[in-house]
Amino acid sequence: MRRTHLYGFHKQNAKMVEFASFEMPIWYKGIIPEHMAVRTRVGIFDITHMGRALITGAKSEAFLNHVITNDVSVLTPLSAQYSVMCNENGGIKDDFVLSKLEPEKFLIVYNAANRQKDYQWLVQQSKAFDVQVEDVSDNVAMFAVQGSKAQQTLQKIAEADLSKIERFKCGWTKLAGVDGFVSRTGYTGEDGFEVFVWNTPLSKSENAVKVWNAILKAGEEFGIEPCGLGARDTLRLEAGMCLYGNDIDETTTPFEAGLSFVVKLKKDSFIGKDALAKQKAEGIKRKRVGLKILEKGPNPRPKQEVWKDNIQKIGYVTSGTFSPLLECGVAMAYVSIEHATEGGTVMVKVRDKPLKAEIVKFPLYDPTKYGYTRQK
Amino acid sequence: MRALDYEFPDKLYYSKEHEWVRLEDEEAVVGITDYAQKQLHEIVYVEIQSEDSEVKQGQTMGTVESVKSVSDIFSPVTGKIIKVNSELAESPELLNQDPYGKGWLVKINLSDLKKDMENLLTTAQYAEYIKTMET
Repeated sequence: MRRTHLYGFHKQNAKMVEFASFEMPIWYKGIIPEHMAVRTRVGIFDITHMGRALITGAKSEAFLNHVITNDVSVLTPLSAQYSVMCNENGGIKDDFVLSKLEPEKFLIVYNAANRQKDYQWLVQQSKAFDVQVEDVSDNVAMFAVQGSKAQQTLQKIAEADLSKIERFKCGWTKLAGVDGFVSRTGYTGEDGFEVFVWNTPLSKSENAVKVWNAILKAGEEFGIEPCGLGARDTLRLEAGMCLYGNDIDETTTPFEAGLSFVVKLKKDSFIGKDALAKQKAEGIKRKRVGLKILEKGPNPRPKQEVWKDNIQKIGYVTSGTFSPLLECGVAMAYVSIEHATEGGTVMVKVRDKPLKAEIVKFPLYDPTKYGYTRQK
Repeated sequence: MRALDYEFPDKLYYSKEHEWVRLEDEEAVVGITDYAQKQLHEIVYVEIQSEDSEVKQGQTMGTVESVKSVSDIFSPVTGKIIKVNSELAESPELLNQDPYGKGWLVKINLSDLKKDMENLLTTAQYAEYIKTMET
């Protein structure tokens, strides 16, 4: 099993699980306190297990516009976008964040579970273009610092003025004296940064450990918590963000998943464009929705069926959990389009017991009180 | 007795599925062990068969959910459920806070204790079982 630079810290402080062939922390104090730390203060996650590749060369923008669905041309240096890449049928190969580092240099950060698949796909598709694709996953440590106190925490150890880095922008800065790169992105719904420590292979982990410890120390006064994969999952679910393999995969399209904002059909040809244009013209038959369980009881879980009025099966749950913030069961589900109406009431079948649920919009929390849109 | 990070009270019997049994004449009080609650962590929901249900040793008698996971609860004895801990519906976290006390699950009227005992472990045996599992 693979480990990250922070394995020693995790092993000592967390319950460990296997995830995408990495030995990773699932929780330290517990999913609920870690979740609440991020929703109300700040938390730090080790996300070094994610995949990272650099795309360089004169044709890198043209290549990326061919392989991904979003419009790469709108990116200026030191800015980022969320996007997906699709197969020819419009099915999602992966979702990721793409950052433009320089005019001819891009960084793509994709799911840990898809490291091999994505890299091979990018290399294969790049052959027709004058570009290089380099897998830098193993040379970079990556942490997410998330929550309303993330900027104040990180600023204490950063040389650059982080208030100048807006959401989905990035910048180079020293962090605790170490060369780093930060982007104002994340997967919790909160404001926050993703921190990259470059040139840090596992065999030379000092800089990664130094930055991690410095962030924890800087965040002490704000009540920072180290957070595991458990809280990462409950946070992204409340925020309405997809987990690849659960909520999206090669059989779901960005339109069905509610990700039409990353599909730019006005672009010249890109992989999956024809299938997606056809689906858009014909209309989707099912859609990803949020569910909130209206009664006290068991929590919704993946693969459970969604029914309308106990007579008609209309879909199934793809992610489900107990929401630490809302203190009730919450889920993502695909339901047939005629029933995918906000405010509609459906049933989730949990071990033969029908549970009443409401179709709700994402994020599941009040965006004026929580998340990066909160009113200060 | 204490074993590793866990507490296993004496005078209880244990199942390999991590339930404990406290014998009181013809009845048994049943709960999940300290080991089980620490593995599950943050229990947010408990569901047990209703009173008067017949349960069999080794068969499912309920479900316990943590934030992330769903696990079956197996009856460590055979008999009839005569009382369910009603506090657990409102406060499932009692299983974490006090697994051998306020977090008890059910009271069962025993029908074949002699046979049940063949599969139950003493405190020392269960502690040994946990040690081999953890290493």
